Amino acid sequence: MSDWAVRVNDVSKRFRLYHERNQTLKSAILRGKTSKHEDFWALKDISFDVIEGHTHGLIGSNGSGKSTLLKCLAKIYWPTSGSIEYRGRMASLLEVGSGFHLELSGRENIYLNGSILGMSKKEIDSKFDEIVDFSGVERFLDQPVKNYSSGMYVRLGFSIAINVDPDILVVDEVLSVGDEEFQRKSFQKFLEFKKRGKTVILVTHTMPVVKDICDTVTWINNGEMMHTGPAADVVKKYQSSID
Amino acid sequence: MSYLKEIWHSRELLQNLTNREVRGKYRRTALGQLWSLANPIAAILIYTFIFSFIFRLPAQVGNPSGLDNYALWLVCGLLPWLFFNRVLTLGVESLVSNAGLIQKVYFPRIVLPLSLANATFFTWILEMAVLVVALSLLGSFVLPWLPLVALFMVVFGLFSVGLAMMFSIINVYFRDLSYLLTIVLQFWFYLTPILYPVELVETQSNKLGGLVGTPITLLDLYTLNPVEGFIEIFRNLLYDNRAPELSTVLIALGWTVLAFGAGAWMYARKEKMLAELL
Repeated sequence: MSDWAVRVNDVSKRFRLYHERNQTLKSAILRGKTSKHEDFWALKDISFDVIEGHTHGLIGSNGSGKSTLLKCLAKIYWPTSGSIEYRGRMASLLEVGSGFHLELSGRENIYLNGSILGMSKKEIDSKFDEIVDFSGVERFLDQPVKNYSSGMYVRLGFSIAINVDPDILVVDEVLSVGDEEFQRKSFQKFLEFKKRGKTVILVTHTMPVVKDICDTVTWINNGEMMHTGPAADVVKKYQSSID
Repeated sequence: MSYLKEIWHSRELLQNLTNREVRGKYRRTALGQLWSLANPIAAILIYTFIFSFIFRLPAQVGNPSGLDNYALWLVCGLLPWLFFNRVLTLGVESLVSNAGLIQKVYFPRIVLPLSLANATFFTWILEMAVLVVALSLLGSFVLPWLPLVALFMVVFGLFSVGLAMMFSIINVYFRDLSYLLTIVLQFWFYLTPILYPVELVETQSNKLGGLVGTPITLLDLYTLNPVEGFIEIFRNLLYDNRAPELSTVLIALGWTVLAFGAGAWMYARKEKMLAELL
């Protein structure tokens, strides 16, 4: 058994549910307090390791807290307590094309979006052709992205993101973008990524996908970890709980 | 320390976001960047007409440059102010208007106000370049002072972005701030000696003497305004062609350290919570 790439240590996340969210100065001054709130624990004491080179799935029903956990893994939210450690460079892919500037051309947006996702200019230069080829928007590269069709938009976004080439990739269900052909292409790319020994953590609702590509799975329900372990076992338990 | 390191690592991102602002702004306009000069020119024409022609402000003679031109004297103070004004009004919204990005990707959030300030700074450089040409043509020997001008532009830039950083975080909690700020900036503009010389305030202050029985004068309160010192420095260098007073420089540096330090400290403290607060 090889080493862990991501270690989730007793992670808990508390959100404040505001009854009166006083975001104006008037209410703060008049009432002499900023807000009234109630605590809500979206995650409670989650711990698991993801082994280097494994693909780890997060499953659970809607509102179970798996997206919150994913955002913690992507460093967008910070755990209220506990910690997450990484060995290697982490990149996240929660939405494609976030950060595109509509008035700028596809070419300019590749550089902009690439650097938002943590690539250096050199890296983008070396992968530029690959990104363009994969996205299939070559003819429109110097057009502003606001003229792109929605399909072209997500394809370009996805092509940039998949070429970031981190050691650890944190993904929300973005593998299902574009038409069928593009989906097949991106799935292929994804398997290639896996083959090169990279670690992937993903959220998905489609159980066949989990069984096919995940080595290990964590099942979360109401913010608590139900099970973690080999994919087949956890999925079986999860499905029997639904039926 | 590790926070500073992280900012250093995201300098390419900072550069790309700056380019996004600069290039995206005047896309599909025939005049492009020239538009950034339109605002100051309009302001110069209006203010010169009102204050120099109608109100007949006393002549402002540069010492030792010998310049006597209200329009030029005005611009030396107006351009820094316009920069300050833009950094603050754009900067205060920098987090709220990028909420979508903040909630989807991790990157040091401080690059958002910094990139806006950079893009605005770029515009300011263009304006100042035009001013330097105009000053030289009209008889100010400004060239030897340019290194100092550049230095104080950077210092004033840091001061402005420091304030913008603080305001952008406060604006996440209290969305009123961006509206309040536009009003505050109007008062601030007229309470800074840009349209009129500080000597006029001094005259009034001397007439009044100590306020409500204290030795504090109106001028003392007036010069608490940190922008006042910066305007004086820029006028000294550009219009008068002489070195600013050391005390003015030290106070300006003090304000800069304070503003930028406080802004950076607020980002280091609050950055991790921004995604859920927005």
